Amino acid sequence: MAELITPVLTAGIGQQNFRDLEAYRSAGGYEQLRRAVVEMTPKDVADICSGSNLRGRGGAGFPTGKKWSFLPNNGRPRYLVCNCDEAEPGTFKDHMLLEETPHQIIEGILLGAYAIGCDHAFIYIRGEFKRGYEIMRDALAQARAAGFEGENVFGTGKKLRLTIHRGAGAYICGEETGLLNSLEGRRGEPRLKPPFPAVKGLYGEPTVVNNVETLAYLPYIMRNGAEWFAKAGPERSPGFKIVSISGHVVKPGNYEVAMGTTIRQLIYECAGGLRPGRSFRGVQPGGGSSACLFEEHLDVPYDFDSVAKAGSMLGSGAMVVFDDTTDFVKAAYTLIRFYSHESCGQCTPCREGGSWIERSLERLLAGGGLDSDIDVIKSAAHQLTGLNLCALGDSIEPFLASVITRYEDQFRAYVPRAAVAS
Amino acid sequence: MSMGIDSDAASGVHPSADAHAEVSSWSPHVVRAGNAFDTLYAKLQPEIARLLGEYEQKRSALIPLAQLFQDHEGFVSADAIAAIAYIVDETTASVESTVSFYTLLYRRPIGKYMVQVCRNLSCMLNGAEEIMAHTRLTLGVEHLETTSDGLISYEEVECLAACDRAPCAQVNLEFVYDLTPQRVEELIAALRAGTPAFAPLAQTQTPGRSWKVDQDSGRKSRGAVGVSNPNNAGGIGDASGRAMFDLIVGRPQYEQRSDERLLRETTLRVEASENGH
Repeated sequence: MAELITPVLTAGIGQQNFRDLEAYRSAGGYEQLRRAVVEMTPKDVADICSGSNLRGRGGAGFPTGKKWSFLPNNGRPRYLVCNCDEAEPGTFKDHMLLEETPHQIIEGILLGAYAIGCDHAFIYIRGEFKRGYEIMRDALAQARAAGFEGENVFGTGKKLRLTIHRGAGAYICGEETGLLNSLEGRRGEPRLKPPFPAVKGLYGEPTVVNNVETLAYLPYIMRNGAEWFAKAGPERSPGFKIVSISGHVVKPGNYEVAMGTTIRQLIYECAGGLRPGRSFRGVQPGGGSSACLFEEHLDVPYDFDSVAKAGSMLGSGAMVVFDDTTDFVKAAYTLIRFYSHESCGQCTPCREGGSWIERSLERLLAGGGLDSDIDVIKSAAHQLTGLNLCALGDSIEPFLASVITRYEDQFRAYVPRAAVAS
Repeated sequence: MSMGIDSDAASGVHPSADAHAEVSSWSPHVVRAGNAFDTLYAKLQPEIARLLGEYEQKRSALIPLAQLFQDHEGFVSADAIAAIAYIVDETTASVESTVSFYTLLYRRPIGKYMVQVCRNLSCMLNGAEEIMAHTRLTLGVEHLETTSDGLISYEEVECLAACDRAPCAQVNLEFVYDLTPQRVEELIAALRAGTPAFAPLAQTQTPGRSWKVDQDSGRKSRGAVGVSNPNNAGGIGDASGRAMFDLIVGRPQYEQRSDERLLRETTLRVEASENGH
């Protein structure tokens, strides 16, 4: 256990008060930002990031350096937006980072902004994180007073500004173009792509949207070198990852490990395994949008490519563990209800498909379901994917499809047999 | 599980369609004597200017402005919408459209305490259903309702990103962790006693039963409710379909048929027409 956990972003949390600027600085904080702004060119910083092979920690796992490289050199203003609209079911890493280590996030954002040549960055904080927002606001005031953020950072005359923006309650604003619309004061409805944000993003200008955890790794990659990060974990999916483990485990929590740690190690060594007397039935490896994995997948290494090869996805890095007390019909219904509720309503397959499946499952749970409902649910689920503007519609089906295949008996058990006999 | 009330953020029903809606007479050029909103508007000018200064485009301040007015009035009033439209140079319809999208912006007054219990997966696996049932019972209200004394509003919400300490909830957006039925009772008793660990929200008007606008129809069509021809029934799985189904079952000529058979018959009709395409 001890050697599995590799604290980088989570180092010192619980022992030190990193909300305080001095505590963060005495641990080496803001030194990398100073070095970058004073001694390095933006390209130097971007090259280090590319060399580390860092992949986005928000869900899609897109290589960060490559995302930055898509920005056109058209002389237009550029924007960096840090996505802290964490709302994927089962994910609670950004919540912890925001409340415990706000300066780490600020330094990461400003490093990213410097690297892409952006002088005004934004952090979009989920509306529910009121306390996190206040902590971030106080931390930013400290950083501003110290001259690390603002019109003249480290006395170099360079401008690096950060605006904190609070959301107002909408899961869909975690989708990058929905987030940009929300940041522009509109309904958080995702945009048609292309053009991608790198070409036309915030205010129609080239924009990069990166997750909190992604940006927070930048100071450490700068400090320890790209090699250090690239050599931890598998070559194509390197580095460290905070895994949020919850559900039926003894010690739910955030565990920072090297990529490639197996799912079994994460559940049984980090999170203390299942509760006494219970047996394993499944795990959702990457948030509410990911397909369930089962006993045969326990030794799958936890990295982007291996989890994808096993038929699911690493997503936001949130594992929800199910033991033998789980009612998978209720679990599926809970998630379908979530996606149905959070659908922005633009695309018909997502809006109608999600609510249709939700109501069918609701009827099944209420004891009014039919065997044919289950067949229809199975066929309808496959008609949602790939037909929507954004990934929300595609997220409805994977978990349901995986558990309805594996535990079809649980679904059939809800069909009242006496009614069929009459 | 009741469905009819499950309206949500995406329902953009214009308030003029609603009998209780207020029409704002706010104007940037006329100060209404003794008007509380006009006083507030004047007082908030420095904060409004600060918010506008955070962004390259004024419209980006729309949601922060709505939050600002809500912090002081308890909800986003018709006056606030008119004022925001003026500040960001958009139409009131445009502001209304944005405000109505977000679940944390309330267009009707709410209680002094907003209790939001998580109903998503990790909490569900750890007993959220019991917590929700217990909260509803203790408060005497349903999802999306406010107690009759106007003190506490109750909502069942989606994942709050605190799954390691499930089941969880928020009171006025402050987290409450590791809930048990007993902790729920203690919490509500504390809120009622007026000695809570949570600062009350602003409340400038008495809340109604729910803060949702057009809570009955929600985003989806009510479809065939009240239509007597079975061939006009809405989708089998939706609320209108269920209402239709009840109507059909209630008719004398169908009395002898089982639910199963009726459903099969109506389902077959739908499949036949689909296959015809």
